[in-house]
Amino acid sequence: MTRSNNVAILGGAATPVGKLQGVSEDGTQQLEHEVLGRLIVEALADAGLEKEDVGSMIFTLPRPYTQQKYFATFMANYMRLPCDGLVMEVLGNGMTPALTFQVAVDQVRLGRTKVALALGINFETGTPAPEHMMSSMRATGDVDFHTPFGFTPISWYAMDAVRYIHEHGSSREDLAMVAVKNRRHASLNPLAQFRKPMTLEDVLAQRPIVDPLGLYEVPGRGDGAVCLVIAEEEIARKTGRPYARIRGEGFYHEGAHQISEVPNDMIAFEAARRAGAKAFAEAGVSAGDLDLAEIYAPCTIVEVLVAEALGLCPRGQGARQAASGETALGGRIPICTSGGLLSLGHPAYVTALYSYYELLEQLRHRGGERQVKGAELGLACTELGNYNAAMVHVLEAAA
Amino acid sequence: MTLPIIVTKGTRAYPPRMSEFTQLFWDGLVAGRFLTTRCNACERPSFPPKPICPHCWSESVNWIDLTGKGRLYSATTVHAGPAVFSADLPYRVGIVDLDEGLRLATRVLDDTELDQPVELVVLKYEDGPLYGVRGIPA
Repeated sequence: MTRSNNVAILGGAATPVGKLQGVSEDGTQQLEHEVLGRLIVEALADAGLEKEDVGSMIFTLPRPYTQQKYFATFMANYMRLPCDGLVMEVLGNGMTPALTFQVAVDQVRLGRTKVALALGINFETGTPAPEHMMSSMRATGDVDFHTPFGFTPISWYAMDAVRYIHEHGSSREDLAMVAVKNRRHASLNPLAQFRKPMTLEDVLAQRPIVDPLGLYEVPGRGDGAVCLVIAEEEIARKTGRPYARIRGEGFYHEGAHQISEVPNDMIAFEAARRAGAKAFAEAGVSAGDLDLAEIYAPCTIVEVLVAEALGLCPRGQGARQAASGETALGGRIPICTSGGLLSLGHPAYVTALYSYYELLEQLRHRGGERQVKGAELGLACTELGNYNAAMVHVLEAAA
Repeated sequence: MTLPIIVTKGTRAYPPRMSEFTQLFWDGLVAGRFLTTRCNACERPSFPPKPICPHCWSESVNWIDLTGKGRLYSATTVHAGPAVFSADLPYRVGIVDLDEGLRLATRVLDDTELDQPVELVVLKYEDGPLYGVRGIPA
C-alpha cells in the first residue's frame, strides 16, 4: 500500500461479554468509568504507548440505562487527558461502534492527532428485553407506519430468512448450522459470553422467537467494553510491535430504512455488496484473498446473506457452505472466529469494536486455539437497520 | 376501491401519530380508502405519503387511491415482542408488494404463503384505524 497516511490498529483491550450491570448482594456494582478506565490503561500498554501520546478519544454512546451522562467528557476528566483531537460520543444504531472506529481513524488520518482511542461500554442487561424492545423497535422502523404493527429489530432479519429459504431452497437446518459453527468458535474465545458447545439438535429444540429463528439463532443480550488504540502507521512501526494496517474502507447507505418502498431484492444486501466492493478496490484485493472475516450478523441468516453479498460464498450457497464447514475454523474462509454476535455476544453499541479487536488478535497471531493459521488479511463488515447501510474494513497484518 | 373494514375491539397498542398532512391518509383509512401521494413532476407514487417526492424532491404531489391489492413478499411470526404488544403474542407481520409498485410492511392476518395475492383491510379500533393484509383467492 503506497498511501502516505496509513492508519494502524496498534493495540486493544476488552472485557469478556456478559452481565456486568446490576447490584450485587453486598450492595456493590460495576461502574462504567472504572471498567473502561482499566481497559484504557491495558490497551495503551498493549500498544506500547504512553498516556501523553493520546490526542483524541472517540466513544460509543452509552445506552440510556447507563447512569453517567455526557460520558466522553466525564472520562476526559476521570483519566485527566487533555486532547487536541476530538473527544465525543457516536451513535448510529448497530453501526455505532463501527462509526466510532471510523471517526477515530479519520482523526488520525486528518492529522488532528497521531494516536486516537476508539472505545466504549455497553450496559443494558439491567433492563428486561420487553422493555428494551420498546426503545429498539423505534430505531428499526418508521414509528408511524411500521412500529404500530409490532415489528421488532430481528423480525426484519427473520423475514430475510423466510424469503431466503423460499427462493433458494435452503433448509432451516442449514441456517441453524451457522449458530453451531459460531458456538464452536466461541468455545475457544475467552471473551465470549456463550461458550458451551452445542449441537444442531440443541439449536432446533429452542423456543421460537421470530419464525423460523429460535432462541439460539438470535442474539442474546450482554454488557461489554472495548478500547482500541488507533495510530499513524509511522508511530505503530516505531514501536516494533505487530499491528493491523487499515488497507481498505467502504461505506454505503442504500437510502432506505428497513425496507425499500420501491420493491427490490431485499436479500441481496446491496449496501454490503457496494461497501465491500469499495473496500476491496481500495485495498487492491478480492474476496478470495481474505484469510478470515468478522461479520456483524445478529441472526444466522444475516451472516449468510453478507457472506454472499461480499462474494465470500456464491449466491444461494451461503447456508449450505456454513453447514458443510467452509466458513468454519479450518475451512476455506473462516467467518466470525470470535463466535460472532450469537455466541461472542451482542453488547450492541460496542459489538463491532470486538470484531476489530478479534481481527487485530488474529492478524497478530494471538488468537490462541482459534488462530487462523498464517492470517494476513481480514475483513470486518458492520451494518445498521436490515443492512440498509454497511461499513467494510480490510485489515492486513504488519510489523 | 373500498377496502374491507374489520371492526376490532380495544385500542391500538402503539398508535401512530398524525400530522396535518398525514391526517388525510388516516381519515381516508377510516372510510375504507387507502390513499397515498404521487408526484406531479416525475409521476411516481410513494408510501408512506409524503409532502415531498422522495425520488425527485418535487414539492408538488397529489393524492391517489391505491387498490390495496398485492402479493406477500415475506412474513414472520413474532413470539417475543415489545411490552405493549405482549397481549397480541404471537402475531404475524409481513412485507407486501402492492400492484402499484410500492412495498410496505404491516400485520398479516392469516397464514397466506409467500408470493400469494393479498388485500389490505382496515382494522377499525375504538381509538382509530390501522391496517393489515389477508389472503385472497388467486
